Amino acid sequence: MATKFDSTSQMMRQAIYALALGIGAAYIFFGWGIVLQIVLAVITAITVESVFLKIRKMPITSAIGDGSAVLTAVLLAISIPSIAPWWVAVVGVSFAIIFGKQLYGGLGNNPFNPAMLGYAFLLISYPLQMTTWAGDFISFAQALDVVFNLSPADALSGATRLDEVKTQLSLGGVISELTLHSTAQAWVNMGFLLGGLYLLARRVIFWQIPAAFLSGIVITAFLLSFGDSEHYLPAQNHLMLGGTMLGAFFIATDPVTASTTPKGRLIYGFLLGMLIVIIRTFGNYPDGIAFAVLLMNITVPLIDYYTQPKVFGK
Amino acid sequence: MFKKLRSPASQLGGIVIANPCPVDNVEIIQAPLPDKVVLPLQQRMGDEVIPCVKVGDKVLTGQVIAQAQDAFCVSIHASISGTVVAIDAQTIPHQSRLKSKCITIKSDGKDEWVEHKGYADFLHELPQTLVDYIQQSGIVGLGGAGFPTHAKFNTIKPCHTLIINATECEPGIMCDDALMRHYACEVIRGVEILLYISGANQAIIAIEDDKQKAYQSLLTLTHNDKINIVQIPTKYTSGAEKLLIRSLLDVEIPANKFAVDEGIICQNIATTKAISDAVIKGKPLISRIVTVTGDGVAQPNNFEVRLGASFAHIVALARPDSHPHNNRMGGIMMGIDVKTLEVPICKVSNCIFINHTKAKVNIQECIRCGQCNQVCPVGLLPQQLYWYAKSENTDKAMDYNLDSCIECRCCDVVCPSHIPLTQYFSFAKALHRQKTQGQQKVDIARERFEFREYRLERNKTERTKMMARKKEELKQKMANDKTQKSKIAQAMARVKQEKNGNKI
Repeated sequence: MATKFDSTSQMMRQAIYALALGIGAAYIFFGWGIVLQIVLAVITAITVESVFLKIRKMPITSAIGDGSAVLTAVLLAISIPSIAPWWVAVVGVSFAIIFGKQLYGGLGNNPFNPAMLGYAFLLISYPLQMTTWAGDFISFAQALDVVFNLSPADALSGATRLDEVKTQLSLGGVISELTLHSTAQAWVNMGFLLGGLYLLARRVIFWQIPAAFLSGIVITAFLLSFGDSEHYLPAQNHLMLGGTMLGAFFIATDPVTASTTPKGRLIYGFLLGMLIVIIRTFGNYPDGIAFAVLLMNITVPLIDYYTQPKVFGK
Repeated sequence: MFKKLRSPASQLGGIVIANPCPVDNVEIIQAPLPDKVVLPLQQRMGDEVIPCVKVGDKVLTGQVIAQAQDAFCVSIHASISGTVVAIDAQTIPHQSRLKSKCITIKSDGKDEWVEHKGYADFLHELPQTLVDYIQQSGIVGLGGAGFPTHAKFNTIKPCHTLIINATECEPGIMCDDALMRHYACEVIRGVEILLYISGANQAIIAIEDDKQKAYQSLLTLTHNDKINIVQIPTKYTSGAEKLLIRSLLDVEIPANKFAVDEGIICQNIATTKAISDAVIKGKPLISRIVTVTGDGVAQPNNFEVRLGASFAHIVALARPDSHPHNNRMGGIMMGIDVKTLEVPICKVSNCIFINHTKAKVNIQECIRCGQCNQVCPVGLLPQQLYWYAKSENTDKAMDYNLDSCIECRCCDVVCPSHIPLTQYFSFAKALHRQKTQGQQKVDIARERFEFREYRLERNKTERTKMMARKKEELKQKMANDKTQKSKIAQAMARVKQEKNGNKI
């Protein structure tokens, strides 16, 4: 049990490795776009972080080496559409690193999840680019073309299942007549689920947040669809659509910005899951993970304070 | 009667640390008599004891050279026979690295003992006589803290349970293991003496489950129904007094209380042997068993050595190599680094670690990963405490129960960022003490000032009141005077009238 991890960098690396399965699934179904986005994001992250560390007169190599900037970049790159133009990733990652992390004092001092802050910023600023998703497998050449030549992505695009369901419902459709399933998204979610289980097994993350997060989603979605099964998405579809598993195991578990007490993690995760379903159902944006995470980040100090474990002899 | 505890230890925090330097054959090697010994006069508590010998005096082994004068001190004895050559400040193995007053005795090589006789028939003595005798024999807790043994018996609360801590507080230390194997008889006798003195209903000897030989040797010699021998999981911090009490008796002693307040007395296993030697044979505490270990010595083992001999004296017996070393007294977790080996072995020196100097590790930022609160044996949140300790926000740190931290360093060990958390916590504790003391002073000063203001104000109002009263009185008097005057006038008028009448 003693010394589980040699360094914080090792934990970050574990998290990056664990993302591989989900990224692999995304690659299989949606092609080269995601690879390009990750490369772009990582290069941006390292550059911006180095510049800022230089300005702050901090040692560059050891801080870059901690892997947190790379992890932020990868998380953001998988969250944005794989056919988004190149500047989306660049702007988003820069914002995440500068305003999400460095301005607060660097790793460990930021109250908000940097990747989600970057994502929310992008979604609000560039809603069109941020909601145009790849519909099918994209070859390397196609990906280069659409990301760098800024050729219209319409030919390749398709709405996400969550988006589609939402639009249909608002147009008066009923659940029983809609396609709720998406094989591609289910596989991507499975990939992230497996990666997450690996992190759990390695004890990089603890079980409380993912478990509470998923129960929050299931219970809220169940209650809604129990009341009106024709207008609310069933729980099992919530689990396998959008960024649910990525959120549960990789984003909500960001240790810096999540609750840190065992009980607090349960509360944090559960409320997060609840908020996501509520935002997905009643909000204007198709997926609600980023906003839910940012909202819950604010509550962390309060949750932590009131959920301190019992101390010996007190 | 003999139970092996189920392992609730996983819920209790703490960490399993592999023995950094396992030894196949744990034994006790008698160290040769040192040429000189240095015996510090400062003890864990109380003032320095005052020497009762002078420079130049001849002393015998076991002779009292400084007499205990207050309740928390014990007497100090010459650990060899010879001549007192100095009474001055010497470097001692202490965290402060300050010098402290010591008596230095040069050996005459004869090791002649002073006449000694104990209370072999201790059951016929009054317990208090034995407690005083233990104090006179210079016995303190040999586990590492050095709390005066007799002081635990001088409490009002009757004792119901005696706990003998044989857990060898940290990995790598093996002096208690060796002691139990070689001196099982004395150990059991010591426990019986303690049972008699304390009047406890039961004694529990707690041994870690990796010390099977020691366990067996005690088991075969125990024929007393009151003595239970219990094996506990080998896990770091399970030997800490309050945590041990929790795992044995399921009683939690609060941070501001002691075990004796709950009627529980804890003694270290080596202390019981010392008590047995003192009470049965009349031999005061003049030697102890010290483990010398670490990757810097070729033959790590236990050495029975006279108190006051230098660290170097026994380290040499363990054959150190020539690399640069980091020397540490006590365990790898809670011990203290000593710069030089020319410091005397004290009653609390249970272990000397000679390790190769290691490269410094890179300290990273805290990411609140929570590995630390998983291992904290008292259930704290080191990641939160660190945040507040770092920003010197001690009030908030106290809200997170900073005062409950036992500074076991479990969190330091598991921290992936290698943050020396415990250092931050002891710093924050000191800062908090300073602040509260400062605050107390400020409060007192303010109260005084406010009282002075109040007093001046009170005097003033009293004065005005008094003046008003006096004025009133005067007025009254004047009024009275007026009536008086009018009476006089009337009288005068009467006299006049009479006079006039007379004239007529």
